[in-house]
Amino acid sequence: MSPWAPPRGNLWFCSRRLTHTAGPTIFAAVLRVILGFLALLVAASAGAAAPERSVIQIFNFSQQPVWDAPWRWQPVRREGGSGFVIRTPAGLRVMSNAHVVSWSRQLLVRRFQDPRPYQAEVEFIGHDCDLVLIRVADEAFFQGIEPLGFGDLPEVRSTVVTYGYPAGGEQISYTRGVVSRIELQNYVHIGNRAMLAVQTDAAINPGNSGGPVIQEDKVVGVAFQGVPGLENAGFFIPPEVIRHFLRDVEDGTYHGFPLAGLRVVSLQNPAYRKFLGLPETGETGARIDGIIDVPASREVLRPDDVLLEVAGFPVASDATIVYRENRVAVALAFQQAQHGEKVPIRLLREGKETKVELPLSVYAGDRTIGNQYDQPPRYFVHGGLVFAPLSQDYLRTLGRELGDTSTSELVYELFYTRHEKPDKLRSEPVVLAGALAHEVNANLNVRSRALVDRINGVRIEKLEDVVRALDENRGGQHVIEFVGKGGFECLDREAAAAANDEILKTYGVTNDRRL
Amino acid sequence: MIRSFINARPIRSAAGVLATLGVLLLAGLTLSPTVMAAEGNGRNPMELSVVTLEITAKEYDYFQPWNKPTRSIRKHALVNAGRELVTTAQNLADRTLVRAQKGGRGRWFNAEVKWLDYHANLAVVTVADEGFWTGLQPAPVSEVMPRLAEYEIIRWRDGNLETRRADFSKFTVGDGALSFAPRIQLELNTEISGLGWAEPVTAGGKVLGISVSKGGNVCLVAPWAFIQRILEARRQGKDSALGYFDFVWQQSLNPATLQHLKLEGDPRGAVLIDVPKTAGTDYALKKHDIILEVDGFAVDSDGDIEDPEFGHVMMEGLATRRHFAGDRIPMKILRDGKPLEIQYLLPQAKYSVDLLPMHSFDEEPEYLVAGGFLFQPLTQSYLRGWGDDWRRRAPFRLSYYAGESPTPERPALVILTQVLPDPINIGYQDIRSLVVEKINGRVVRFLADVEEALKAPKDGVHVVEFFRGDNLQRVLLDATQLEAATSRVLKRYGIPAASVIRPPRAAAAKS
Repeated sequence: MSPWAPPRGNLWFCSRRLTHTAGPTIFAAVLRVILGFLALLVAASAGAAAPERSVIQIFNFSQQPVWDAPWRWQPVRREGGSGFVIRTPAGLRVMSNAHVVSWSRQLLVRRFQDPRPYQAEVEFIGHDCDLVLIRVADEAFFQGIEPLGFGDLPEVRSTVVTYGYPAGGEQISYTRGVVSRIELQNYVHIGNRAMLAVQTDAAINPGNSGGPVIQEDKVVGVAFQGVPGLENAGFFIPPEVIRHFLRDVEDGTYHGFPLAGLRVVSLQNPAYRKFLGLPETGETGARIDGIIDVPASREVLRPDDVLLEVAGFPVASDATIVYRENRVAVALAFQQAQHGEKVPIRLLREGKETKVELPLSVYAGDRTIGNQYDQPPRYFVHGGLVFAPLSQDYLRTLGRELGDTSTSELVYELFYTRHEKPDKLRSEPVVLAGALAHEVNANLNVRSRALVDRINGVRIEKLEDVVRALDENRGGQHVIEFVGKGGFECLDREAAAAANDEILKTYGVTNDRRL
Repeated sequence: MIRSFINARPIRSAAGVLATLGVLLLAGLTLSPTVMAAEGNGRNPMELSVVTLEITAKEYDYFQPWNKPTRSIRKHALVNAGRELVTTAQNLADRTLVRAQKGGRGRWFNAEVKWLDYHANLAVVTVADEGFWTGLQPAPVSEVMPRLAEYEIIRWRDGNLETRRADFSKFTVGDGALSFAPRIQLELNTEISGLGWAEPVTAGGKVLGISVSKGGNVCLVAPWAFIQRILEARRQGKDSALGYFDFVWQQSLNPATLQHLKLEGDPRGAVLIDVPKTAGTDYALKKHDIILEVDGFAVDSDGDIEDPEFGHVMMEGLATRRHFAGDRIPMKILRDGKPLEIQYLLPQAKYSVDLLPMHSFDEEPEYLVAGGFLFQPLTQSYLRGWGDDWRRRAPFRLSYYAGESPTPERPALVILTQVLPDPINIGYQDIRSLVVEKINGRVVRFLADVEEALKAPKDGVHVVEFFRGDNLQRVLLDATQLEAATSRVLKRYGIPAASVIRPPRAAAAKS
């Protein structure tokens, strides 16, 4: 029996379910394998253009933070990826995956069969859709390269060819596959968003990502991920998502994909259908079961509204729409709009058909539940006590400990408080992430992994509150209270202040804070 | 004969598995007539004082609560005065048959449990047949626990009494096998596998305790001193229910904390960090009190006391060391820098003090099937269906409740555990493990609430609402079809009755 089968048509949690409900060990890595590059052996059709000349090899020298010791960085890693040249209003750019260039310290690109590396930099990055635009300052780089154009969403069963620089060799590699199916998939780079993705049976080799998937000399996708345990299944980002990204950055800023924040569930029970004024066995209409804290959605929609049509797409009773002959989750109908745009909805409310327009915007409220990139983690160290924001990235450092009773408060706070006790939600829950051993803190029982409730009586809503609560205290001790069974610890105020510099120096912490 | 263990679904622990194997070995008994060992022929006189029990008990399947698979195990019991056999309470719950055998072989006599206490993990068993007692004699026992003695563990194996050495490790205070009531336990170090089936532990020819469990190389033993006190209270007709400390404390190793709490001198005492929310006006302790002395024992900065018999052990053991529930235990505390002497009223260890009761013994699991929806109380027994490591494997949201205490608003929880597919519940078949908030507008905390609420549908539908959260919030069922659907489901899935429900009050007050 699988007791945690996720309900279908779950708009904003699909991804979360995949990473969370299987039990906290899941955070680790189940889906985190980002494979890149489908490489398809192509029989280059005679006389056709040579897309491989537009395919770029990318080297990213990256350094990721240590989330439970946020002033430290992990060893530099050299990661390889692919990209391809496109024309944007601002000129020629290289498109690739966001995960190929994340946490970059140095980015180098190379042309087809050209030994010279060129310096490159990120211009626009969309972590939610795993796409990036890379600028290369040296104009010589683009000389002789024809930018690739985009095609439409390929049809299932049609053949696509993938170009890239996968592991196993140095030169470009091609593979061919058919389009297996098209539906919403969890985008594992961000971890908590599901968007349209195309599955292909091309042989997938871990290594590179960001390479173009080509059909009739047009780019119909960007290869980006695979799923461990699935054979002959690789995924690429379809033109819909790519065009959305490119339109988004036209104003010089990347906003991201909007989120309606609806939990839409299937409406197939005859009694429920009848109750809501629908024919008992009809095929249309999906029910809104819940709305997260997206103000516009809460204003315009309400639970038990029946979605009949979203953005012109009829909504089926299993919470799906048909998009270009593919049955996909209704979430797609909301994702076509840009941040700030409205989507027309036809719905049934209390038995009456109504038309509404739902303004859509980007939702950042669940940022810490997803994977975070490029912004070095925030922290504050005082008296050797390391305070850091609670996040999915932090939880991952707990490894096997995650799932122990001792960490259950952290899991609850991060994933459940927002839904169950929204009035008690802290904007940035703070964890005592560790203690840098020194005589001022050596006698603390609680040394790490504890969620901070109050410091010197101040409820800690965000990291700045920690700084303020410690700064403003005039008592003999700092009193730090933790969430849970009411445990607390004290720190001698003067001794901690006096020891601060020495502790920072001893442990190589260059700055006591990053706020 | 011994029944198969195949039905024994949730395996309790690695120790349990080993123990089970041990019992399987024990099962290879011959059927030859018992020959009682005569004293003085060089055989161990303990042969006359240690008997085997065979217990068949129901082991409910909480994922299909109407199922009543059984399993049989064998364990030991000690002959005590008054034709009584003393053993642990483990595996005696939901028993259907208990039999006793002496001499490690031969005839089985029907036995009867005269008394048992799950929290104390003790049971007294007797056999009506006179013939059973012929040749048996009470075991010599000792309440004094020598540390340097040569400890031996005794058990019947293939008709012979096996005696093997075990090394003394330490005395320790911990939870019981079936209870959170703290008690003193003897830790022996041994490589003998399959222990924990009430094997007597002896030294110098006297019984010093009964084995309770084994994990790794550590065998935990209930000391006779602990057992004797409870048996004695029972003999005198006194209330012998175990108590426990219902507050949460932390160690006082941090001088800054003690300074903050105005304790002068060396670090010592246990710092109170949580007192029960339901504590009445009689409750003598407050958050941030420092407990300096309990029952005459000084509490050190680890929260330990120095016990003249057992050495350095956690102060929690004093809850059961010389007292029973309902007693007042004198404590010296420091509150706001001022010393105070208080009398702490020792609460009784009951399973109902947890929001999710730890156990529910000697009663069938409750459930209610309505239109294919299976409603069950959320209990630790249910969560143990995910195995011994249920805290990791059960759905996080459910196991998280295990850390909570009941409140007047939330005295218990009911969950929709699964949906047995039927035409009435089309569209809901994948629903699992959702805590029910209301049915037809009525708040649901007990199964009886579900039963009651289902009597009052509105507009021809039943509305089931779930706890606010990251989950489905609401479903509807056709009320006019519900009864017919329930009958259909019961028949199709072979469920003997639509519900097993006990009155909520009894459920709440039950220990």
